[in-house]
Amino acid sequence: MSSSMYLAAGDGGKVLFHLGPLEVTGALTTLWAIMAILVLFFWWATRDIKEMPETGKQNVVEYIVEIFIGFFEGIMGRERAVQFTPLLATFFILILVSNYSGLIPGAGHITGFIPPTSHWAVTGGLATVTFLTVQYSGIRKKGWGHFKHYFEPIYLTPIMLPLGIIEELIRPFSLSLRLFANVFGGEMVLFAIATAAYTMQPALYVLLPVVMGLELIFGFIQAFIFTLLSAVYIEAATAEGHH
Amino acid sequence: MMEAAIFAGITIFAMALAAIGSATAQARTATEAMSAMARQPEAAGQIQTAMMLALAFMEALTLFVFATVFVLMGIF
Repeated sequence: MSSSMYLAAGDGGKVLFHLGPLEVTGALTTLWAIMAILVLFFWWATRDIKEMPETGKQNVVEYIVEIFIGFFEGIMGRERAVQFTPLLATFFILILVSNYSGLIPGAGHITGFIPPTSHWAVTGGLATVTFLTVQYSGIRKKGWGHFKHYFEPIYLTPIMLPLGIIEELIRPFSLSLRLFANVFGGEMVLFAIATAAYTMQPALYVLLPVVMGLELIFGFIQAFIFTLLSAVYIEAATAEGHH
Repeated sequence: MMEAAIFAGITIFAMALAAIGSATAQARTATEAMSAMARQPEAAGQIQTAMMLALAFMEALTLFVFATVFVLMGIF
């Protein structure tokens, strides 16, 4: 493995071109492609929605939306589930497609085609959205009461305040690192097996589909975990009464 | 070259240690969750969600080691 493989994790991949002061990397172009595909698909699927679904595509999309709402209802209740499902379902679908894009042959080795979630910059951005949503919805719901739990109980404030702030800041950190490390680790394992099979023992190629099957499961679980944790954090910030 | 080899050995050892730790903890969690689900199948959904959350936090520790190893690799 070349050292550039190691560094790819940190610097967000090779810079393809500049857009003003911003650097556009392979992960970003792949993310744009995925976004375009998803937007086009859902635009096509929801083009002429009717109150009574007549077409199969509307039925499919409504079924998907109802699964999401039903799942989040179990965590945060009907009202907030309907309110936050657009964001959380977008997280899930985007991350799932991004993770699975890494299983397409050539991913990571073709210029401009790198699974977006294998870069910390992308997952960090997603986790930042979660962080801002938690703060914004908490403040909108409870006003200054959102910050009350840092000062409870009042005589422990000198300890609880720094702990609370650290906890709040570690959440997006661990959320993004978990997703990024999983996808990136999977890519590295695939790469290592392929290299070993090519250079040493061709029989090792048998391992590739096995690992890819595992990656299918992991990709789903990681998208699920990210969405679930985001939902739990938002729920905690907007919960009524206790806390 | 020698230093790189030593470093590779240490990182493999660190990853193995982290994997053993979180695998043991995750095994415990999964065992308990499954016996709880067997005892109360009607609560299976809630238990599963809580189990997933707990597993994610344990998994994160291994991944922190993984990320740290990669950061150190950039230095060496």
